[in-house]
Amino acid sequence: MNLEKVRAGFFIILAMTLNFGFFYGEMDSLIHHSKYELFAAIVVNLIATTLKLGDKTQTGSVLLATSLVADIQLITAATIWTVAYYNNAINPESIGLIISLSGGALMANFVSVILYISDALKSKR
Amino acid sequence: MNNNSLFLILQKMRTPFIVLISVYTISIIGLISIEGVDNDGNPYYMSIFDAFYFISYTATTIGFGETPYTFSYNQRIWVSMLIYLTVIGWFYSIGTLISLLQDRVLKKEIDKNKFIKQIKNLREDFFIILGYNSTTKKIIEKSLNKGYRVVVIEKDEDRVNELLLDSYTPIVPVLQADIQDPNALEIAGITSKYCKGLVSLFANDKLNLRIAITSKTINKKVPLAVKSTTENQSENLMDVGVEIVENPFHIISNQIDLSLNTPSIYQIEKWIYNMDNLLKQPLKLPRGLYIICGYGRMGKEIYKVLKKNKIHAKFIEIDKEKVDINKSDILVADADDKEILKNLDIENASVIIAGTNDDTTNLSLLSTAKKLNKNIITIARENEIKNYSIFKYSNIDYIFMPSRILINKTINALVNPMSDKFLYLLKSQTEKFASDLIEKLLLTIGNYPELFELKINKKEAFAISTLIEKKENNITLKNLMTTRDEKKELNNIIALLLQRGKKFYLLPDNDMILEENDQILFAASSEAINDIEYIAQNSYELEYVLSSS
Repeated sequence: MNLEKVRAGFFIILAMTLNFGFFYGEMDSLIHHSKYELFAAIVVNLIATTLKLGDKTQTGSVLLATSLVADIQLITAATIWTVAYYNNAINPESIGLIISLSGGALMANFVSVILYISDALKSKR
Repeated sequence: MNNNSLFLILQKMRTPFIVLISVYTISIIGLISIEGVDNDGNPYYMSIFDAFYFISYTATTIGFGETPYTFSYNQRIWVSMLIYLTVIGWFYSIGTLISLLQDRVLKKEIDKNKFIKQIKNLREDFFIILGYNSTTKKIIEKSLNKGYRVVVIEKDEDRVNELLLDSYTPIVPVLQADIQDPNALEIAGITSKYCKGLVSLFANDKLNLRIAITSKTINKKVPLAVKSTTENQSENLMDVGVEIVENPFHIISNQIDLSLNTPSIYQIEKWIYNMDNLLKQPLKLPRGLYIICGYGRMGKEIYKVLKKNKIHAKFIEIDKEKVDINKSDILVADADDKEILKNLDIENASVIIAGTNDDTTNLSLLSTAKKLNKNIITIARENEIKNYSIFKYSNIDYIFMPSRILINKTINALVNPMSDKFLYLLKSQTEKFASDLIEKLLLTIGNYPELFELKINKKEAFAISTLIEKKENNITLKNLMTTRDEKKELNNIIALLLQRGKKFYLLPDNDMILEENDQILFAASSEAINDIEYIAQNSYELEYVLSSS
């Protein structure tokens, strides 16, 4: 067992599950979507990205790319939320935007997990 | 910065990044969960954005104060803790980043990338020179003078810095790497079509052989100039396919052989190597008793030559192990000793050669010899270039310098391959032929003839090449050798050698008809070289020369 692999796998999968937890729920209201969960998702995503830094292999580069995509979408969602909140513009449109952005991030995280698992399966040890 | 160095940074920055993210997260969670009081005295909780904003300016030690409302004491206790946490986190990351940038490995990586870029953009003919020392320094200078670019690979960092300080123009790209690594040769552009040669003159024969083999495996076409100090090594190198094998001791013994039998050829060789002019009386060594001090690699070569010429010679060598027991004419003793020199009958000797690898010994034993016998011809071997002036003023008749011979021979073989060939062919000629040639050169060209090579192709001789393609006129060597002012007059030019395919014509006839891809070596005055270039390149000049009236 490789402790490094455990750590990386833990954060990559946690990033996806948290992302999913935030995304799951009604599309036009924020009742089912906790801001704390979004915060946690962003933090875990950032850690997952850091863990993928500096890997020169082909899979490593694609993994890093998917993580960066997820980061950008989640941070954009959080920024939109903040801006909308302080401008009293929380309406179905902005809510939809926030949630769909996190949905996009979820897709990226999903791809990342699949890549990670397939890479793990490919190794013979 | 290229991929490699970037990845190196990223990989090492993982831990600092994670520390930073964790510290931020912990601080933000604390801030949003501690109750505060707003201006009206109502309890409130910070929003995530408020907390992030506060942390961002606190962690970077900017400090805008307490926002959005003045903090409660609970909050202040947490903030005082998080300040230490975040500031330490920041300094740790920045410290790591800075030490990374100063890292030698990374610096080397960055330098290497810069070097690769320089080589990629090098679109002129260049040589790769391995090692940077006083010998290769001269080669670099001369190559740059001749219009070639140079690339250097050197292992030692101090020498690399020395090269950078010497600041050549045009710039000489240098790679700090171990030449044993074949990758280094590849990076230095050995596979490039602009690479016109590789020079390896290390003292270590094995290393030279290794380099020769690797270079030939990577790129068969690149001519190699490699030093060798033994016959065995020379053979090995030839087997690998090295074009220019340079054994300085063999060259020296060869020169002694030449000056014994055909001094004029030796004089021409010195002229071609740029070591002397043609005006000087050729050195003719007498055939008397020879005393040779030192029976090392150089002594052995001289031994062979003197044996071949049936000259009586006596050898002295201080190191017992170097001497074959079978050879009775070698004395094991210190050459720098009056009594021993006297015992060797120095009063009647005609030549003494100081050939040890120690300059001080060579100088001192020659001055002793001169005292014992005023008429003796002294020949010294000079090992270090920096001792040049001492040798020059010490009244020694002839100085042989292995490193200088290497420089001249290398440059000549790389930059003027035709003249190298010419010398080779000349050596099979007689003394009379050579002395006549010298006379002819001096008579037609003047005291200081120069060498010039021309290849009949579109690049070097556009006008001639186009005309040959049309097949209308026959252009002869003579056409090239007329003056531009008056075509009936012959210029100060002598064609020394013409190469057509694999055939060589020594002193070709002036009526020879030129063909595409002919290579010609001329000796000419500098004005005449100018004329040849005009006639070869400019169609109008060529037309004038060809017109019959």
